[in-house]
Amino acid sequence: MADPTTYTASSPLKGVQVEALVVMKITKHSSQTFPTIATGALVGMDVNGILEVTNCFPFPTVDVPSQDGHQDTSNLAAAAPRAKANVAYQAEMIKHMRDVNVDANNVGWYMSTNMGNFVNLNTIENQFFYQRDINERTVALVYDVNRSSQGSLSLHAFRLSPQFMSSYRENKFTTESLQKSGLRYQDILVELPLTIHNSHLLTSLLHQLPTPPPSEELKFPADLADLKSDRLTKQPPFDPNYDALDLSIDPFLEKTCDLLLESIEAHHTELNNHQYYQRSLGREQAKITAWQQKRKAENAARVAAKQTPLPEDEWQRLFKLPTEPSRLESLLNSRQVEQYARQVDGFTPAVSGKMFAVKSNLLPGEGA
Amino acid sequence: MSRFFHGSDSSSESSSEEEELYSESEEEKSAESEEEESEEEDDSEDDSSDEDGAATGVNRFLKKDTESDAEESDEEDKVTVVKSAKDKRFEELEGTIRLIENAEKINDWAVISTEYDKLNRLLPNLIKQNDGRPPKLYIKAIADLEAFMQETVEKQKVTPKKMNAVNTRGLNAVRQRIRKNNKDHSKEIDKYREDKDAFMQEDVIEEAVPVAKKPKRTPGDIEQEIIGADDSGFTMVGAGGRAVKYTPEEIFKNLRTIVESRGRKNTDRLEQIKVMEKLLEISVTDYQRIRVLLTVIPTRFDLTSGTGNQMSQEQWKVAEHELTQLLQLLEQSPDLVVVEGAEEWENDEKQPTLTPGEIFKIPGSIVSFVERLDDELTRSLQHIDPHTAEYVDRLRDEADLYSCIVRALLYVESLKSNPKLEASQDSVNRVVMRRLEHIYFKPSQVVAILEENTWKRMSENADSKITPRAESTNTEGLVQTLCTYLFQNSEGIIRARAMLCQVYFLALHEQYYQARDMMLMSHLQETISNFDVNTQILFNRTLVQVGLCAFRAGLVYEAQTSLQEICGSNRQKELLAQGLQMQRYSQISPEQERLERQRQLPFHMHINLELLECVYLTCSMLLEIPLLAQVGSSPDIRKRIISKTYRRLLEYHERQIFTGPPENTRDHVMQASRALAAGEWKKAADYINSIKIWELMAQSATIKDMLSEQIQEEGLRTYLFTYAPYYDTLSVATLASMFELPTRKVAAVVSKMISHEELAAALDQVNDAIIFRKGVELSRLQSLALTLSDKASGLIESNEKTLEQRTQGTANAFERQTQGGRGGRGGQRGGRGGQQRGGSQGRRNNFTGGALGRVGVQT
Repeated sequence: MADPTTYTASSPLKGVQVEALVVMKITKHSSQTFPTIATGALVGMDVNGILEVTNCFPFPTVDVPSQDGHQDTSNLAAAAPRAKANVAYQAEMIKHMRDVNVDANNVGWYMSTNMGNFVNLNTIENQFFYQRDINERTVALVYDVNRSSQGSLSLHAFRLSPQFMSSYRENKFTTESLQKSGLRYQDILVELPLTIHNSHLLTSLLHQLPTPPPSEELKFPADLADLKSDRLTKQPPFDPNYDALDLSIDPFLEKTCDLLLESIEAHHTELNNHQYYQRSLGREQAKITAWQQKRKAENAARVAAKQTPLPEDEWQRLFKLPTEPSRLESLLNSRQVEQYARQVDGFTPAVSGKMFAVKSNLLPGEGA
Repeated sequence: MSRFFHGSDSSSESSSEEEELYSESEEEKSAESEEEESEEEDDSEDDSSDEDGAATGVNRFLKKDTESDAEESDEEDKVTVVKSAKDKRFEELEGTIRLIENAEKINDWAVISTEYDKLNRLLPNLIKQNDGRPPKLYIKAIADLEAFMQETVEKQKVTPKKMNAVNTRGLNAVRQRIRKNNKDHSKEIDKYREDKDAFMQEDVIEEAVPVAKKPKRTPGDIEQEIIGADDSGFTMVGAGGRAVKYTPEEIFKNLRTIVESRGRKNTDRLEQIKVMEKLLEISVTDYQRIRVLLTVIPTRFDLTSGTGNQMSQEQWKVAEHELTQLLQLLEQSPDLVVVEGAEEWENDEKQPTLTPGEIFKIPGSIVSFVERLDDELTRSLQHIDPHTAEYVDRLRDEADLYSCIVRALLYVESLKSNPKLEASQDSVNRVVMRRLEHIYFKPSQVVAILEENTWKRMSENADSKITPRAESTNTEGLVQTLCTYLFQNSEGIIRARAMLCQVYFLALHEQYYQARDMMLMSHLQETISNFDVNTQILFNRTLVQVGLCAFRAGLVYEAQTSLQEICGSNRQKELLAQGLQMQRYSQISPEQERLERQRQLPFHMHINLELLECVYLTCSMLLEIPLLAQVGSSPDIRKRIISKTYRRLLEYHERQIFTGPPENTRDHVMQASRALAAGEWKKAADYINSIKIWELMAQSATIKDMLSEQIQEEGLRTYLFTYAPYYDTLSVATLASMFELPTRKVAAVVSKMISHEELAAALDQVNDAIIFRKGVELSRLQSLALTLSDKASGLIESNEKTLEQRTQGTANAFERQTQGGRGGRGGQRGGRGGQQRGGSQGRRNNFTGGALGRVGVQT
């Protein structure tokens, strides 16, 4: 398919091209496991900075008897891509794929999500694991089950920015380091443009898909119009998707609101943690200054008495400054909020259009 | 134990000190107390010889005088003795002997007595320095003294003229002591008498080289010996063969030895008790009996000292019996009083002579005995399994104890009423408190019976001023009087406890409003944390009882609020001292656990925890279910939780996949809650009423009726909250038939809801219908959006605050930006227009002030 000679490691990935087969598989898998998060591996090839995803396979979820409730199993599922057993499974699968002559390069992983609620430590760790251990040029496909059910397919490809990668490798997310690196929440994830690709063969097949002949006896058409609208004669390859005309806006916005509130709660928690840290830091520093002053006075006295002064850097041993809480959580939280905001942003224009359309049709006298 | 010691046995401080110290000076002390005793004896004798009881005042004064004199001299002695060397001591001895001789010449027995005492006091030191033998000079002196004394006595018998009172006193004292002392030195004295000169000669020769002779002893010395011999005190007495010949004269001596051996190791207390029982049998006078009883009772208590073990029932009964006996004796002989801090009678040989009409004080504390007896019973009840017959058996003793307390109260009261005695108010308070603590938690019928029996036991003419016999049948009056007495006469903890007891009693007797008002007026909620643990427990008990009372009165809200603190904590057992709660992660030291065990209340005082839980859960259900229905899904009030415990249980119950028929109280309440939430009030009422534990309450039928009524009402409210959005109008009559409530009641409930703005509706009285207003309620999205905007503005504010702090309120560069953002929130998105600055300036300044203030504090 692709020419491997064109492959250059230096050129950054420009986009992701996903085969329809992959989309179908992901959709099926995700809606099956909903609301638990579904994860799987992607295989494909990198062609001139375009990552072609040609196939995928799901990760087996370990069937742990759910004693501790729903939360744990979902966590387990979310952490599946970097689980040891799955790494082995993945290698095995890829080997088998090579045997049947399918693309056998690991190009990333996919996960399902609900209402864009995916920017969390788990995702980051998974992607970090892929980008570091397996192959730098890997993507995470995020499929939003809930939004897809409302009409438009929601599938996005994300990667971790190199900046974030280096920060995460050091695992340093203090205020200081963030200031130095200039890392902002916008810089965590990089979204890649995603295209869905069908082979020509497939497209033509779709167009020529024969419909099975009706089994019951057909009635004669009453008139010409009837004949024209006969469903047997002309079938477009894709029925119009009525889902797209869904007018209910409340559920979506409500859920988004809920999630936003949750995020704000999380933010408050982080804020409190940080404030606590600052308070304790202030206390410790006050102690240290007091100690230093005391020591200085002491030393002055000792010098006056012709004695050797005591070392003044002992405070490093005596006092232990509290460690700053990692800012990663709040960064991710901000990114998550941004994600929600974007979703709403994307949602409103479409809905507004629909609303106006509905309104002009429904209101008598105003219909154009 | 320590309190007991403190109160009861002021027998003599000196003797207790003796037990602890082994210094020279304390030997003097013992002598000093002896001296005092003799003075005292003199005093009383003086009284008798003068045949004049009215001279009390003067005598007392005199006595004090001499006493202080003696003390003074002691003080001096102490200094000299401590500092003196051997020679100095001998000089002193010689000086003393000279004084005695001089006094002999003028027949001044008072001086002789003092000097003789001094002599004896010097002796142990001399013996020590003289290689364990008494110096010859001493022997000579005492031998002469004996001879002289005998002579004097003979003379006195012949001559009709009486000796001077002071002299007689001295003579008697000396005679007693000489008789005792000289026995120990009889050998030496005999030797001396055989050949005076030779003996003294020897003495002169051997003055430097001490002679080996058996030391002469005073009774004080015997005591010293006992101390020295390390706890073998009693065995020594037994070895002396005295165990067999108890005579009334020797009672006090025996008592003294026993008292002295008290608190030491290896003393066989049972043996001592036996001895004392015998002494009691042979004692003749009331005084003797009282003295013996005053000693034997504490010894019985001592049998089981230590925290772990309790007094055996027999011992307790005997102690109780003896205490009653003691009280009876004291009642019969009003001249003898037992008071704390009285002086001790030190003369073992002689009894004080009593003058009728004159009050003679004996040191001791009846109150402490009663308290100790009470404590012992409680302790033993703590250790007995409450479900056995033994417990009931033991509990019967409480009646005896109660009568003892009442009796003691009468006695203490009579002491108090005697102005001469200056009895302390404190002891009366203590007894009253004990009495109150025995009745406050009992239903009035029980108390009435208790009172009746108690008064029956008492002699006919006994009566109390605080609680007159005539009013004993009126239990409420009794509690009231006792408490009022304590309010008037006590303060601090006792007063608080009295208050709590009364509140408890009132709550127990269905007087909710009174109880609540008292509870609130006491303001104990604020200060209770400063009190001791036992009072805190009482406070908790009272709180719970008030809550239960409110429940019985049908005041669900009040009941829930009262019970919340105790029942919501999940530590009911611990808070009410009704059993230890084993917490998984608790780190209680064994010490703490032991203390906790001691605090436990005996079973008959317990408040039924299961009933308590049931009441609490039922109340919570009645309040929470309508609230849950009202809150629905709106996020603002979701946080409002009345009872966390209940919520947790409910959630747990709802998570269950399969719920079987209810088994325990909790299940019943939970299933009732579910039914109520679903509007099936009948089912809910059935569940609640089938709880068996209601039977434990008085008038369970009334309670059940009350509960059914409450459930109907709350069911109606729940229904309205849940289904109001689906109705435009709703007929009151339908509701009334649905919940089987009278129309008026339905109208009342609905009006109440409307007026509290819980329900957006109006009551149409013409058509008898409720008309719901539509569109008043915010949709879920709307309310969520409101919450979100609130939160977001909160975030912005906190951001601004942070900025203020960072820039110390000075940097304007940042301020402009944030302001713009704020101002532009309404109109342009993300606008950073500086032009809007003016508009929001005012508000901003206010805000800045606050932030600045905080900065000022922090820096």
